[in-house]
Amino acid sequence: MMLIECPWCGPRNETEYGYGGEAHVAYPADPNALTDNEWAKFLFYRKNPKGLFAERWVHSAGCRRWFNAVRDTLTYEFKAVYKPGEPQPIATTNAPAQGGTK
Amino acid sequence: MADILPEHPEFLWHNPDPKPSYDAIIVGGGGHGLATAYYLAKNHGMTNIAVLERGWLAGGNMARNTTIIRSNYLWDESAGMYEKSLKLWEQLPEELEYDFLFSQRGVMNLAHTLGDVRESMRRVGANQLNGVDAEWITPEQVKELCPIINIGDDIRYPVMGATYQPRAGIAKHDHVAWAFARKCDEMGVDIIQNCEVTGFIKDGNRVTGVKTNRGTINAGKVALCGAGHSSVLAEQAGFDLPIQSHPLQALVSELHEPVHPTVVMSNHVHVYVSQAHKGELVMGAGIDTYNGYGQRGAFHVIEEQMAAAVELFPIFGRAHVLRTWGGIVDTTMDASPIVSKTPIDQLYVNCGWGTGGFKGTPGAGFTFAHTIANDEPHELNAGFSIERFETGHLIDEHGAAAVAH
Amino acid sequence: MAEQVLTDISALRTSPLAHMAFALQQGAVAGERGVSARELAFTTQIGLRAEPGSEAHAALAAATGVGLPASVGEVAGNAEGTAVLWSGPDEFLVVAPEGTELFDDLVAALGQSAGQVVDLSANRTVVELSGPSARLVLEKGCPADLHPRSFGVGTAIATVLGPVPVLLWKTAEDTFRLLPRASFADYTARWLLDAMTEFASPEVD
Repeated sequence: MMLIECPWCGPRNETEYGYGGEAHVAYPADPNALTDNEWAKFLFYRKNPKGLFAERWVHSAGCRRWFNAVRDTLTYEFKAVYKPGEPQPIATTNAPAQGGTK
Repeated sequence: MADILPEHPEFLWHNPDPKPSYDAIIVGGGGHGLATAYYLAKNHGMTNIAVLERGWLAGGNMARNTTIIRSNYLWDESAGMYEKSLKLWEQLPEELEYDFLFSQRGVMNLAHTLGDVRESMRRVGANQLNGVDAEWITPEQVKELCPIINIGDDIRYPVMGATYQPRAGIAKHDHVAWAFARKCDEMGVDIIQNCEVTGFIKDGNRVTGVKTNRGTINAGKVALCGAGHSSVLAEQAGFDLPIQSHPLQALVSELHEPVHPTVVMSNHVHVYVSQAHKGELVMGAGIDTYNGYGQRGAFHVIEEQMAAAVELFPIFGRAHVLRTWGGIVDTTMDASPIVSKTPIDQLYVNCGWGTGGFKGTPGAGFTFAHTIANDEPHELNAGFSIERFETGHLIDEHGAAAVAH
Repeated sequence: MAEQVLTDISALRTSPLAHMAFALQQGAVAGERGVSARELAFTTQIGLRAEPGSEAHAALAAATGVGLPASVGEVAGNAEGTAVLWSGPDEFLVVAPEGTELFDDLVAALGQSAGQVVDLSANRTVVELSGPSARLVLEKGCPADLHPRSFGVGTAIATVLGPVPVLLWKTAEDTFRLLPRASFADYTARWLLDAMTEFASPEVD
């Protein structure tokens, strides 16, 4: 059981949250311009690192807001939570670059 | 139960040091890795091969699954793969000369809503066209096959019928691994434990070996059977996999007299249960939703699964949970596995079995060995390529496979 | 044909827990381990949305008469009159006694600014749980920290009770208001009755 810090509501039980998978995945600017391979990569491929991972959560039973988190997928420890639009505070292999703002 | 577990010798396989070079290396010493090695040696004459296991033999999902074996999947590709697997299961105890308590006690998948009923009947029809022994049974027949089940219509998810596959069942998972390991060892396969792959050696786009914590090992071919760690291996090798790893939990009760003669699964309420040979009730839960490599999940998942189990089986209300645990399952977006060549020459991958890898053990080994030996997929796994995510030819088995994801 | 228009429909209204009133009354536990639950039906509830710092936010804050809460847990106003609960960084719920005429004023205050004023009076009912054991009852199924050091009088949060999403509002020492959505009210009431039962018996050491 994880105690997850909502950026707006503070620490709440894991059961109040929903999981949204990898964070900072941009919707293609022009889907029609993509090759089949690029479209497949967008649609079906997400990073799956063992270690730090930037990912999305939603506080479903609380303020119902989406936010981002950096969590260790091995220890499950949350290293940071941050609101959409805020820079990613800790670098991960799945984020485009440290300080990304998507 | 009264079944006596078979005796086996103290050592079933040797513990060799890695040789400098092999014709093929299989990464991952679980059920699928061992089955792949077995069929490579037996069907394709490749005996200068090694299985590398970073921990101990069959200590991952092979030690953590709920041992259900069935083949009642919807699509032709899946029916082909899982039915081949079931047919292999039926001959393996004799072939491996090891009674691993394969028990064809039948498996039922319950339907709790009219939507379930329609989906189940459609699947039964598809199964029958593919020669899979599936049938639709009424709630009364469910009760006859499994008397402790509650088929009352006053519960949250009443039993409205079930699909039933009589040839399906369970087997003793660790004995299956030992049986494969012994035969592999007899045929000259090196089973190397505590040997973690840390990188891949490539010559251009061709893999030529692996780096391990026990040194570099050259190989003509490398085959990945890393289950939950498939993405980690693929990243080391330099290609992408459409895999997400999740914790999946299961549990056993303390030992009981025989009360549950078959296997009952319910996709809708996320529970699957059988009674193992020793007498413990074996139950599986749904996946924890987040990505995880921790081999553990949260208790609320177990709690929800137990609530469903107790409603279906009121007498379980008096049973005690003895032990819970978690494994790491590698899931794909279409709930079907990947048994495939990769973008890298002579590198092959078998993964994405999600929550249902145990039943596929011999089928995966059989088709994957063929793929490795011939550098071409067998007709049974041709559809399970990585390319399907690009061509759009998905094999959506969420109805048949997705108790948990 | 003469037009027949029913102008006063209040006699036809049925609150989400009307059918449970007797059961809740019977389930009350008296004494030093006491706890009881009752429905506060037909409260006025208005959902507001406005970005803090915006013109709309300022206008709505003025129009409620009690302001708008600034962050999680805060309640503007009080339980006897008009109160505004924080339900998200730009989302608030006005809860006021039955018949409170506030909706038109809020709509007028918002005007054409970006924001929202929605009558949500039928969305949730209110269950008041009170007595020395009220917190113990809630702690059986609410994962939030309800200890007074972090959940004092005048605190309200969105959380869950068992599987039911609720707004939980501590209105006095030993008194909580639960706001489940109408269709979950029956389950919530039965859940509470079940959780309250043990307090009718002496504490087991």
